[in-house]
Amino acid sequence: MNAAAGSTLDLASVSERIQTEVQRAIQRSIKGVEYIASSGPTPGATPKDTIRSRGTMQLYHYRPMTDEIYRIPVLIVMATTNRGYILDLAPGQSLIEFLLKRGYDIYMLDWTAPKPEEKNLRLDDYVLGFIPECVRAVQEDSGETDVNIVGYCAGGMLSTLYASTHPDGPLKNLVCFTTPIDFTQMKMFQNFSDRRYFDVDRLVDSVGNVPAEMIMTSFDMLRPAARTMGQIQLWENIWNDEYVKSFRMMDKWGADTLPLAGEYFRQMTKDLMWENKIFNDTMTVGGREARLANIKVPILHIVAEHDHIVPYEAARHLIERVGSTDKEEVMLKGGHVSLVAGANAVKRMWPKLDSWLSERSV
Amino acid sequence: MANKSNDPVEVWHTMLGEMEKGFNSFATQAMSSPEFSKVMNQAGGMAAGAQKQFDGLMEKYLVGMNLPSRSQLVSMAERLQAIEAQLSEIKTLLSRMQGKTGGADDTDGALAKPRRTRRPPSAAGGAQ
Repeated sequence: MNAAAGSTLDLASVSERIQTEVQRAIQRSIKGVEYIASSGPTPGATPKDTIRSRGTMQLYHYRPMTDEIYRIPVLIVMATTNRGYILDLAPGQSLIEFLLKRGYDIYMLDWTAPKPEEKNLRLDDYVLGFIPECVRAVQEDSGETDVNIVGYCAGGMLSTLYASTHPDGPLKNLVCFTTPIDFTQMKMFQNFSDRRYFDVDRLVDSVGNVPAEMIMTSFDMLRPAARTMGQIQLWENIWNDEYVKSFRMMDKWGADTLPLAGEYFRQMTKDLMWENKIFNDTMTVGGREARLANIKVPILHIVAEHDHIVPYEAARHLIERVGSTDKEEVMLKGGHVSLVAGANAVKRMWPKLDSWLSERSV
Repeated sequence: MANKSNDPVEVWHTMLGEMEKGFNSFATQAMSSPEFSKVMNQAGGMAAGAQKQFDGLMEKYLVGMNLPSRSQLVSMAERLQAIEAQLSEIKTLLSRMQGKTGGADDTDGALAKPRRTRRPPSAAGGAQ
């Protein structure tokens, strides 16, 4: 009797499921055509002004959204391979908007593709040129001496090098997201750049700036099935407008990978991938010693549990090596990108960043 | 709704997830070998060299046809971007100048400088 009732129930639910799937299949056909015919949403739309621009460097100031803001302005330093709008995808999905609404004064150091004549830019130009120039611009624009820096991935690495070569300020607090320190633990990148087979000099000398396609392919190779699975999931969810919107923004961002300045790439390969100089405490930038122990400001490092680009083993040494007394590492669920953008970031990372930074921004 | 174990859509999702994990893990293992690095870098080096040669030839061909090359179009787009950026800077400067001279009509909120006196929620007793 019970078994018969159960089987009737199952049949009913299966029929309901089939009905839903048929409706979705119809929606997929309609929305699929819309998808192909329309352009994607426009990310990075939070109102901002470009207050400095020099070659590959762009400095934005986002317009405050509250009448009263924290005293210390925040400078976000983006990774050199990717565009900063990952932090400003759309209203409600924007870390920038979240921070502005929480009363922060936000600046962003974003990058554009380096021009052929910028192929000679080195790490020194980024750490001792672009970042200090932006810090000065933020001081001038905000009228405040102190500046907080938030760096994402390679942006975190550049911010860390800046902090270690500028121990006398004006940096007040440092926040890093998924920042690599021990490059030997980035196993796949290590294999791609194996010095026995990878002739970085030949590559840089022949192409100048390292093409974006090459950078993108090396990221894709870390998870070769991800792109195909993404397309399958898109087809399955194409009836869902919110999913499609998020997918298109993320897909656009992923495809918007930037080329890297040739000398910068050569130096990253030799000093970091081969010699692991930050981890080994032998890193110098423009002749200045860049030891992590030089960093004394309060520091927060947020890492992702399932980060396939910067695994925890590569990131975990930052907090133990810095000379700061006020230091904290937080590991959150998520991957390299979902740590900063998407539903998980809204729930987990953003509130943590706000609670840590607000106490130290007055 | 059907429970997870007999729902064909759930089974399909689980299968896809497992396939993705399996393929990624297999590919990662294959790509971790020194042989892969050797082959990849040999092919990559040749491709980069060939691409460079091809770019040079194409550039000459387009000049011969009196057509703009990709690099010329990119450089033109960059100049346009630079002009847009300069316009944006001029607009910001004008907005600020207008603010300093007490100009009204701050419709886009760019002029009002907020007070830098905000306190963290803990200091304000949890209220925002």
